[in-house]
Amino acid sequence: MKKTVKGIWWAQIKAVIRLEMKKTFFAKRGLWIYLVAALPVLLFIAYAIATSSQQNRSASVARQGVKRLAYQDLLAVKPGMTSEEVMAILGKPPITFHWTEDRPTQDGTNGSIRVNHEDFHYSDGQNDLFVGLANGKVESLNIRQGINLGQDSIMFAAVFQFFFLRLAVFFGCLGIFMNLFRGEILDRSLHFYFLAPMRREVLMAGKFLAGLLATCTIFGLSEVLQTIAFVWHFPPGVRDYYLYHNHGLEYAAIYLGVTLLACVGYGAFFLVAGMMFRNPILPAAAILIWEGINPFLPSVLRQFSVIYYLKSFCPVDIPASPGTPAVFALLISNSNPVPAATAILGILIVALIALYVSSVQVRRMEINYTTE
Amino acid sequence: MNDRIVFEDVSKFYGEILGVNRINLSIPAGITSLVGPNGSGKTTLMNLMTGLVRPTRGRIQVLDYKTDDPENLFKILGYSTQFDAFPKGLTGFQFVYSYLRLAGRTSESAEQMAWRAIERVNLVDAARRNVAGYSKGMRQRIRLAQALAHDPKVVVLDEPLNGLDPLARSEMIALFRSTAAQGCYVIISSHILHEVDVISDQVILLSNGYVVAEGPIHNVRSEIQEHPTQILIRCSQPRELAAKMFEYPQTIEVSIHKDEGGLLLKTRDADRFYLTLNEMAVNGIDIESIAPADDDVLSVYEYLIGNEEAVR
Ligand SMILES: Nc1ncnc2c1ncn2[C@@H]1O[C@H](COP(=O)(O)OP(=O)(O)O)[C@@H](O)[C@H]1O
Ligand SMILES: [Mg+2]
Repeated sequence: MKKTVKGIWWAQIKAVIRLEMKKTFFAKRGLWIYLVAALPVLLFIAYAIATSSQQNRSASVARQGVKRLAYQDLLAVKPGMTSEEVMAILGKPPITFHWTEDRPTQDGTNGSIRVNHEDFHYSDGQNDLFVGLANGKVESLNIRQGINLGQDSIMFAAVFQFFFLRLAVFFGCLGIFMNLFRGEILDRSLHFYFLAPMRREVLMAGKFLAGLLATCTIFGLSEVLQTIAFVWHFPPGVRDYYLYHNHGLEYAAIYLGVTLLACVGYGAFFLVAGMMFRNPILPAAAILIWEGINPFLPSVLRQFSVIYYLKSFCPVDIPASPGTPAVFALLISNSNPVPAATAILGILIVALIALYVSSVQVRRMEINYTTE
Repeated sequence: MNDRIVFEDVSKFYGEILGVNRINLSIPAGITSLVGPNGSGKTTLMNLMTGLVRPTRGRIQVLDYKTDDPENLFKILGYSTQFDAFPKGLTGFQFVYSYLRLAGRTSESAEQMAWRAIERVNLVDAARRNVAGYSKGMRQRIRLAQALAHDPKVVVLDEPLNGLDPLARSEMIALFRSTAAQGCYVIISSHILHEVDVISDQVILLSNGYVVAEGPIHNVRSEIQEHPTQILIRCSQPRELAAKMFEYPQTIEVSIHKDEGGLLLKTRDADRFYLTLNEMAVNGIDIESIAPADDDVLSVYEYLIGNEEAVR
């Protein structure tokens, strides 16, 4: 008997999800959500295009060289070497550039001496070396690395933490979850659901799951595409190294997991907010501020937040460069990370509390729009 | 086992605004009409009955169910609301079909029941079209189909005849009758009494949130005609006037004002009163003012049944 009751609930939840999907996925009002989800993907595609055109240039420089060079070779050049010594190590430079300079003499007279400059450009196919010679001696050395995995993963982490998690997913969840009930109150069609022989809590669960389905699909897909765009331009060797030996795959999975958890956490938050407030701006601002000041709160309060747990997961720390104001340093620092299991549990508990509040709320809800 | 729809001292306030007040009803099976001018509380009463709004005070029971138990209540109740908005992008068929799916029906049984209901309201041809393109009458019918689709024992219809042409009206009325004949409770509302009086087994008259008359239609009619008139008189010798009025059996109640400068009179025969008053005025009683004390109710009756039948 109990089983059949649950069976009906599940059938009803599925019916709600089917009806809600149109609104959560295809609402004209929600078009911007796709845009914010696509933005970081486009950013990484642009970055990949820029990097790979750089790579092509390096490769062509390397091809023009008389010797096949390795990265070690590029490092072997030291300041003070003569151009002959440089060419002995790296061969005749594929690209050279000559110029002269009249350098004022140091002794205070108005005279000047002519300096002959020669710039050599070498490449091992990925990394470029720029050697500046003055009167036949190495004066400056400049290595441009084609791929800098460390720097790139910090960039990825920064985009994820500051744009994707705190803005894109946050506002995307706001847009979708807050409208689950509010949208239908505004267009006066909520009574349709309230007339069905269905528990209000079942309706709420169905709507929540529909919102979760939409946000997880949109933002999960975005996160996957971001990762693909991010590793796409790596040369195959580097890509394999990054993915399998440098935690790349593991990090990608963690980022995806954090994204999905964020949808659960923020989704539950905004579901309640959408039921309790008519105007979405106020609760949204309140939640944004609450999440923003999280690092400055006493540790008891800190736990009633989504970002607190999500931050613990983020695998790559963003180093605060010296001189960063303390406020920002606190925002990115991960002072006391909680263990993964605790963090997952924490988010789920925060979400469950929010869902409990909204189930009380939905039972008390009245149809208050008038007929005229 | 309760076989009535019961309101016990029910009031509903929207903040400061009165929706309905101190409603006591016990509605049996058959066709019951809620009649009253716009804003008199018909929709509020129906929303209370279906749990869309909760009473500020009092208790409501629909047969064996409480109104805060939608899971069970709507198994036996169908409600066609006055709200004219529909979930976006649905065809008429999908509207009824998804309602049945929400009720937990399988797709086959929902499809079959939806078509049967759509046939009952005569909308098969338009059922595959988007509701957004429906006329007012078509929207009215598709809502009716949704309310009837799961064969409920209690059917609540808010102004179901509104927006229908005469032919459609008589079709719908036939539908209400056949539904009631199966032992169902059909509750319909209207702001025009003569639109529903012939088909109603009982009528509930509403005015400004109060039930002003209730019962089988002929009782209500005579109640309206015999409705006691309350009259406020300010005059110099209220006791003499009161004594005189008590000689007539139609007088129900007389109360003298504390300051001895007037009285309130309740009578079923206002004409007799005015005649008596005239006689006494001739005999030297000093009349300051005369005013009906329950103008509101009178005007409602006039509005509802037309001037020729109204009291006075
Ligand atoms: N949601 C609401 N908020 C405030 N007042 C309302 C609301 N719904 C109805 N009312 C008021 O309650 C009274 C009864 O309205 P209603 O039940 O809609 O009457 P009817 O259906 O007979 O026209 C009216 O005064 C109306 O203005
Ligand atoms: Mg109404």
